[in-house]
Amino acid sequence: MEYTRKLSEKLSVEQVKIELLNTAYGNGHTFLAKLDPRTLFIWYLFFGMAPWFIHNKPVLIGLLVFMVITTITAKISPLIILILCLGLLGQGGYLLIASWFFGGDLSVILPLIILTMKVSIISLASITVFCSMDPEKLSNGLLKIGVPGQVSFSIAYGYRMLPSLLEEYHHVFLSFRLRGKAPMKHGFLYWRTIGYFAKIAVLSFYPLLLSTAKRARTTVEALELKGSFYAFNHPKVKKIKLAHLSFRSRDYMFLAFSALYVFTLFVAGNI
Amino acid sequence: MTKQIQLKQVNFQYPGGKSNVLKDVSLEINKGEFLAIIGGNGSGKSTLCKLLNGLIPHYYVGDFTGQVIVNGLVTTDHKVAELSHHVGYVYQDFENQLVSPRVLEDASFAPLNFGFPDYIQRGKRALDLVGLHGHDDEFVWQLSGGQKHQLALAGAVSLNPDILIIDEPVAQLDPFHAEEVYKILEMLNKDHGKTIIVIEHHTEFIAEFCDQVVLMDAGQIIWKKQTNDALKEVDHLLASKIYPPQVTQAAYQCGQFKNNELPVRLEEALNQFPIQLNNHKDEFPRSNYSHLAERDKLVELKQVSFSYKMVNRSRKKVLKDINLDIHHGDLVALVGNNGAGKSSLMRLITGLVKPEKGNVYVEGKNTRNYSPEKLADTVTYIYQNPEEMFIEDCVRKDVEFYLKARKVPGYEKIVEDVLRQFDLTDLQDNDSRLMSGGQQRRASLAIGVAMEPSIILLDEPTANLDIATRKHITKLIDSLKEQIISVIIATHDMQLVAEWANRIIVLHEGEVIHDGDRESVFSNVSLLELAGLKPPQILELSRKLHMSPLAYTVEEFVHALKKEENPSGIYTEII
Repeated sequence: MEYTRKLSEKLSVEQVKIELLNTAYGNGHTFLAKLDPRTLFIWYLFFGMAPWFIHNKPVLIGLLVFMVITTITAKISPLIILILCLGLLGQGGYLLIASWFFGGDLSVILPLIILTMKVSIISLASITVFCSMDPEKLSNGLLKIGVPGQVSFSIAYGYRMLPSLLEEYHHVFLSFRLRGKAPMKHGFLYWRTIGYFAKIAVLSFYPLLLSTAKRARTTVEALELKGSFYAFNHPKVKKIKLAHLSFRSRDYMFLAFSALYVFTLFVAGNI
Repeated sequence: MTKQIQLKQVNFQYPGGKSNVLKDVSLEINKGEFLAIIGGNGSGKSTLCKLLNGLIPHYYVGDFTGQVIVNGLVTTDHKVAELSHHVGYVYQDFENQLVSPRVLEDASFAPLNFGFPDYIQRGKRALDLVGLHGHDDEFVWQLSGGQKHQLALAGAVSLNPDILIIDEPVAQLDPFHAEEVYKILEMLNKDHGKTIIVIEHHTEFIAEFCDQVVLMDAGQIIWKKQTNDALKEVDHLLASKIYPPQVTQAAYQCGQFKNNELPVRLEEALNQFPIQLNNHKDEFPRSNYSHLAERDKLVELKQVSFSYKMVNRSRKKVLKDINLDIHHGDLVALVGNNGAGKSSLMRLITGLVKPEKGNVYVEGKNTRNYSPEKLADTVTYIYQNPEEMFIEDCVRKDVEFYLKARKVPGYEKIVEDVLRQFDLTDLQDNDSRLMSGGQQRRASLAIGVAMEPSIILLDEPTANLDIATRKHITKLIDSLKEQIISVIIATHDMQLVAEWANRIIVLHEGEVIHDGDRESVFSNVSLLELAGLKPPQILELSRKLHMSPLAYTVEEFVHALKKEENPSGIYTEII
């Protein structure tokens, strides 16, 4: 009982909200977070793509080690890491079982590990980059590289609304609990209870959609009054807004170090 | 006096609307006025205000005739973006107008969009002006309701407009913060020469802060008058379901004043009513809570502590070592500042959250061992925001949800009765979210009552309603006494507390600092101050007149005065 209580506390909507917000906004003080968004884009362009084309095992291992280190320096929330690990294990495990089912043997394990390693590198690179940029920074970075203002604004605004949406979702969810009827028995492996919660988790989205549509009216009017539509059509505003973005020495150093590391890996891996 | 705003023969109909929302409206507003717009729901107040910043007719393209001139600009010839340099707007649901995650970013959002290179300084200046200091880098969702309102105001001030429009500032805020907001507006008006326009139901605030009043009804302007004259038009106001300040109502009901002699502020009333020197003995039925203390316990809280996790993963303590029993027949008002722990206490009783230390028992059941679904058989919790209770697509389905889930035989009959009791029979097929605030509140109460609980918990049931609707809801709450064994209301509404509760629990920073009745609470000035409670105006008046016992309602006050006068034989004709 005590154990399930602790677990349910960890998995509560409240907890998920806290973790999500921390992932989005809570990492502003790390080294990576202080880099220019464009640096991170360039970095990601390589580490997010290159692993698909590399088949040299030592190089891949070296890249994975590098990604683990950057992930640690980026101080990623444990929840995200947990989800990632579950995803990787699930995917690897499913492929393994599928291959055995179709007559594979133990020899499939090695290629599967390599595949999983590639996916891990890419996933960790994505996490590192996107968790190190808060939504504002990401949106400014996108604006700088020529993405339209509407898109970049939507990203920043979407995150701004996230906590209120989660809060409201939570309230609706609790409304279902306060008036609904939970199954009398938990059932084998708690399946009845799990089914009950899964059902209200889905049903809670409908009221949320409707009330969000309603509140959006004020927001759209406010955006009009605050001149966002004016800003989208005046390049001068974009310039002022992005004036604070600049490459500093740490950006160059980070890129140079990454390049050097990769170069060394290739040299060492091909000896 | 310079005319700053001129409306000439304006008619407006929303696209798809059936009739004109504004009919032949003409109005002049001078620079530097502090103007209140009053009127019943649907009288066109918000529509009028949206004319001034050009949202009508640029954004809402309906049938528009007439002319609106703001600061010399004809609104049809200038875009919303231009007009927003002249008019700032704070919405009633102001949380939805905050669009950036951090405080300073939001305050400087408009100056940035209009391309001012010093946008950050402008944002800072606006925050300074509204008194929101030291929160620049905080996230907006970490702010309290009052601070969010200040931020919305800062956003409106950031372009340095000459005119500010604030839609129902008091509705969403507790009385303490409402007064703060008005003081800020007063300062902007007096020291910075801004024209302030508020849409307001609370005439006591109007009397204190505004100098002009516009009364609207059914899309027309009935009159524009000086506040002192406006609030004395008691008949006009009541016809539009606006209630004048309590002191004005009391004087009006006494019948001994001519209309132009009615007081509108507490100080004036003090000069006009006689000091009461003789002491009456218990003229009014007093709540006798102490006699009833021996009854059965419904809820027990034993050494309960509670805290919750904040975004920065630290824990915030909200309740400290609470010991409390709720008995059969208790009508409890739970009062205290925002953040005193009222909502947390109620949520503990529902079993939605479990105490960190100590135990909560509901009818002897420890909430730790029971799910909220189980406890719902005994306890009903009604949210502050009714919309969060609407989980179905029409009123009727929402009301019957609980009964249907439990397959209660003959539930249709119960539902019919409840719908009738709350005046919802005609609305039962409507989508609850699209109803007016008062209707929504009624629906949320009906949902709770249909669950036939022993104890009902209401979170701020009268917040956010106009006064006429508030009266209706209060009456409905009063009728619950018959049906439900115990009721607990968390509220800032001191009129409700004074008129309804037989037990008042004062929470302050997570502790119970007082547990008594209205006599013990409202006669304890230092307690009121500590807990940030503002007694009803009529109570203040009766205290300052040395009335004994104190009058808690206008009716009691008038009754006491008439008793007083009767022996002297002067005003016998009134009685």
